[in-house]
Amino acid sequence: MAIPILKQGDILIASLQAAPTDQDLVQLKDDLAERIGRLRSRGVVIDVSALDVMDSFATRTLRGIAHATKLRGANTVIVGIQPDVAFAMVRLGLSLDGIATALDLEEGFAWLQPPPIAEAPRGS
Amino acid sequence: MEQRSTLRSPISLTDADLERRKILVGLTAEDIGRLVTLRELVTQEGDRYTEEFFRHLANLGEAPTLFGRRDVLEEAKHRKRAHLTAMAVAEFDRTYVEQRIALALLYSQYGLDTRAFLGAFDHLLQALGDDIMKRFARNADDAFRKFMSLKKVAFFDIGIITDVLMSERERVIGQQQEAIRELSTPVLQVRDGLLILPIIGTIDSQRAKQLTDGLLRAIRANRARMVVMDITGVAAVDSKVANHLIQTIAAARLMGSTVIITGLSAEVAQALVALGVDLGKITTTGDLQGGLEEAERMLGYQVVRSNETTAHRSL
Repeated sequence: MAIPILKQGDILIASLQAAPTDQDLVQLKDDLAERIGRLRSRGVVIDVSALDVMDSFATRTLRGIAHATKLRGANTVIVGIQPDVAFAMVRLGLSLDGIATALDLEEGFAWLQPPPIAEAPRGS
Repeated sequence: MEQRSTLRSPISLTDADLERRKILVGLTAEDIGRLVTLRELVTQEGDRYTEEFFRHLANLGEAPTLFGRRDVLEEAKHRKRAHLTAMAVAEFDRTYVEQRIALALLYSQYGLDTRAFLGAFDHLLQALGDDIMKRFARNADDAFRKFMSLKKVAFFDIGIITDVLMSERERVIGQQQEAIRELSTPVLQVRDGLLILPIIGTIDSQRAKQLTDGLLRAIRANRARMVVMDITGVAAVDSKVANHLIQTIAAARLMGSTVIITGLSAEVAQALVALGVDLGKITTTGDLQGGLEEAERMLGYQVVRSNETTAHRSL
């Protein structure tokens, strides 16, 4: 099932449902790249709060999306990584270095607002 | 009889273990043959030996809790008497061992010390030994052999009972450690979005795991964007602990939270450098105050005194 992408102003929201297939993730990457260009979006929020596992493919694809959207002129923030998922990722050596992460959708939106509120060095 | 399998058994009880225990004390079929001949003596004098055992303890003022409870004391005496009978029945099977364990648990529950138990048990054996020598005086050699067989059983029992007493003690220590652990890693919110996590004492792998767990959950529950982790109270950090802290920090970052470490002592800092732990990506400040100030700055807080007069009055 394709991952739905919602538009809210100049921000796109992709909400991952439980256990997306590799195919879904690749599709999301293509969809986002295309929409950012068409809708002239400024930011992308990817919500992974429904996932209870993040494998290396998912991590790599999300990293790929973040870098690709950046090249297309939009910042990506990944939100809603669950505590267990976060620690499992670290244990597996999967990192999202250089990519912004936030607690939930709300925090992700706040991070994308110009200028970013506060100066917490996210994704530094 | 099926109920017995649900008995809380602090030591392992496979048939192989039983056999092994018998081999360890050298208990053979020959011994069992000799023990059976003591049956008459034990039946006649068992009550007296039981009294000897408990009188010895009472005279020494040991296990006052046990003697303070008449019903419990009666129960213990009853079981000790049954023990003596069972020794002379000489069927050292699972039932026998389970009865020993049950009695040991009773002792442990009412605070009978291992040393005191050993003393009293030895006292009982002496009384029994005297009687054996008297009754079988015609053949002193045979009497001595009977007594030695009895002693093997006694050591078999002591093995079981000390195992139980020790494992009970370890269980209590374990429970206390658990209680300390639960109390020892608080996560506190000092401002909206700012948590502090003071760590005190040594960090072993289990505590490190609990710490990570508690922190990540607190980040979500309190919607924290900054965490100040204070390790002033940690005397030593080895590479394992350091790596765990680094992993925790990386996990917190994945949840959108930045961690500042404060209170690295000179020794800890040097040890980490010597170990070659890479703390380059981690924000550290000297003390808790510095860490809080840095976190507040990052969150956009500005702390100012309300005015000079209030400041003076408060001093």
